[in-house]
Amino acid sequence: MIETKDLVKTYTNGAVETRVLKGINLTVKSGEFVSIMGRSGAGKSTLLYQLSLLDNPSTGDVIIDGINTERMTALQKSQFRLVKFGYVFQDYALMPELTALENVALPLLMQGLSRERANREATKALERMGLGHRLGNIPSQLSGGEQQRVSIARAVAHEPKVLFADEPTANLDTASSKVVMDIFGELHKEGQTIIMVTHEEEYARRAERLITLEDGKITDSQSL
Amino acid sequence: MFSWLNIKIGFFLAVRQLRRASIWTTSLIIFVMVLTFLNLVVVSGILVGLIQGSIDQYREQWTGDVIVSNLTDKKYIENSPNLIRLIESLPEIQSFSARYIESGTVEANYQTRRENDKPNLAGTPITGIDPLAEHAVSGVAGKVIEGNFLTPNDFDQVVLGSYLLKQYFPIESPGLEVLENVGIGSKVRISVGDITREVTVKGIVKTKVDDISRNIFMVDTQFRGMIGRSDGNVDQIVMKLKPGVDPAVIRDTLIRSGADKTARVQTFEDAQPKFLKDIIATFNMLGAAFSSIGLVVASITIFIVVFINAITRRKFIGILKGIGISGSAIEISYIFQSIFYAVIGSAIGLIMVYGFLVPAVAANPIDFPFSDGILVAEYGETFFRVFLLVVSTVIAGYIPAWMIIRKNTLDSILGRN
Repeated sequence: MIETKDLVKTYTNGAVETRVLKGINLTVKSGEFVSIMGRSGAGKSTLLYQLSLLDNPSTGDVIIDGINTERMTALQKSQFRLVKFGYVFQDYALMPELTALENVALPLLMQGLSRERANREATKALERMGLGHRLGNIPSQLSGGEQQRVSIARAVAHEPKVLFADEPTANLDTASSKVVMDIFGELHKEGQTIIMVTHEEEYARRAERLITLEDGKITDSQSL
Repeated sequence: MFSWLNIKIGFFLAVRQLRRASIWTTSLIIFVMVLTFLNLVVVSGILVGLIQGSIDQYREQWTGDVIVSNLTDKKYIENSPNLIRLIESLPEIQSFSARYIESGTVEANYQTRRENDKPNLAGTPITGIDPLAEHAVSGVAGKVIEGNFLTPNDFDQVVLGSYLLKQYFPIESPGLEVLENVGIGSKVRISVGDITREVTVKGIVKTKVDDISRNIFMVDTQFRGMIGRSDGNVDQIVMKLKPGVDPAVIRDTLIRSGADKTARVQTFEDAQPKFLKDIIATFNMLGAAFSSIGLVVASITIFIVVFINAITRRKFIGILKGIGISGSAIEISYIFQSIFYAVIGSAIGLIMVYGFLVPAVAANPIDFPFSDGILVAEYGETFFRVFLLVVSTVIAGYIPAWMIIRKNTLDSILGRN
C-alpha cells in the first residue's frame, strides 16, 4: 500500500549538507501496524514526514496505492492528507480556540460534510475515545491524555487509510500512554493501517512489525 | 481560492478565533479602527464643513435661496416693480427682500477733527432695506449685538456692521479703514456720491458674513430719497423659498418669465464667489489626502495585527495545512477577521458620527474665524469611505496571512525558519 524506493532526504544549511535518510526501501501493507524506532537523530520522524506527504524527499519515490506522489501537486497532496491520512502528533496539535468537537469536526467539514453530519461523526469518534462528556471543552480544559485522545479522534473520524503517529506517548504519563496504545491496538484490530514513530520499546513492541532505523538506514525489520 | 467550502471553513475558523480572542486585544484593535474611521470621516467632514458652514451662512443671511441682481452693465434692475410683482405671485416663495445698494463712505470724527486731521473714514456699501422684509429673509435683526435693529419708521438711523468698528475689528490694513469711538447713539456721516447725511447709530450687527458685517443698513424709504431713486428700481432682490422647493426651479421660472432680460437671476449656488468654489475643491482634495493617510494607517494597523497573529500561530497554521485544511480557507479566515474589525470599527464610528457628532456640531457649530463650521458627513460619501476602509483592511489582512501560509507546512509545524 505504501512503498518507498531509495528514499533520500538531505537538508542543506549553507554549504553544509546533512543526509538524514540514506536510501530507504520500505513497504507497509494495508492493515499493518508498523512501529519505527531509533535513536534521536536516526531519521525516524523524517521518514514519517516523507511517508505522510508532509515533506518532499530529496530523491527517491513514495508510492501510495500505486500512485507515485512525486508527480502530485501541493493541492493534491493536501487533499490526500485530508481524505486518506490521519495524524497524531507528539504535542497533540489541537487548535486552542476550538472545542474538542470542533477540532474533530474541522477536517470533516473540509471534506464537504454538512455541519450536522460532521458533528455527528465527530461526536461518535470522541465517544469512542471515552470523551463524550468533553465535547464542548477547549484543549486548555483537558488533560494531556484527553488532548491526545481528541487528537486521535480527529485523526480517525474520517476513517483514513493510514494513521500516522509521531511519538504519540512522548508527552503522556504511563496511564495515559497505556490508554493511547490500547486505542491504537483496537484500531489496528479493526483493520486500520498505523505507522507509528516512537522511542519507547515497550509501546513499539505492541505493533505488528518493528522497524529500526540507524543513521538514516533501516537496520532491522522484525515481525512481532 | 474563493470556493464555497473554503469560505465556509474560513468563516468557521474566523468566528472561533474571534470568539476566543482576548477581549482587550479585540477591543484595542476595534478602538484603532474606530479612530481610523473617525479620521477618515470627521477630519475631511470638518474641513468641508468649515466651508459648508460659510456657504450656509451666506445663503441664510445674505443671498437667500434665489438672488436677482442688476446686470453687469446696468446700475440697477430695470423694471423692478414688474419683477417684484412677478415674485409676489409665486406661491413657492416664502419671503423676499428688495435691496437698494450703493457704495459710500461713513465718517466718524467729522465733528471733532481739526482741519489738518485725517478723517476717520471707511468705505462701505450702504443698503436700503425694508427692515421687516429683510429680517424675514436674512434674519438680520437676530444678529444685532448692540442696540436695536431698524423699524420701518426709523429716520436718520442706521445699523452698522461690526467690521466697520475698531472695537470689533481691530485690524489695520491699507484700504480697510475702521471707525474709532463709535457706538450706539453715536452720530456718523454717511455719503453716497455727493449726498451726505448725518445719522445716528441705532444698532450694531455682527455675523461672519462680510456682506453684512461690513455694511450699513438704512430704511429703504429714506435711502431711496438719498440716492434719488424714485422709480422703484432696486439693486438686488433676495428670496427665501418654502421648504422643499428647488431654487433652480424658481430661477428657471423667473428666467422663462423674461427676468433675465433686465437682471441676473441666480440660485445661491450660482451666486457663490469663485474663490469659495475653489476653496471647497481645495478642501475636498485636502480631505481626500488626509483620508488616504488614514487608510494607510488603518491598513498598516491591520497588517501588523494579522501578521503578529499569523506568525504566533504559525505552528497551528502548519498543523491545519498538515491535516489537509486548505491554505485558502486559512487565508479567508484572516480576511473575515479583518472584515470583522473594519465593520465593527466602522459601525461604532457611524453611530458616533450620526448619533452624536453631526447633531452635536450642528447644535454647537465650531467657531472658526470666518464661519461657524459644521460636520459634513453625507451618507453616500461616508459609506464609500467605509467601503474603502473595509477593502484596504481586507488587503492588509490578506497579505500577512498569505506570507505565513505559503511557508513550508512542515517548517511551520516544527517551527523551523
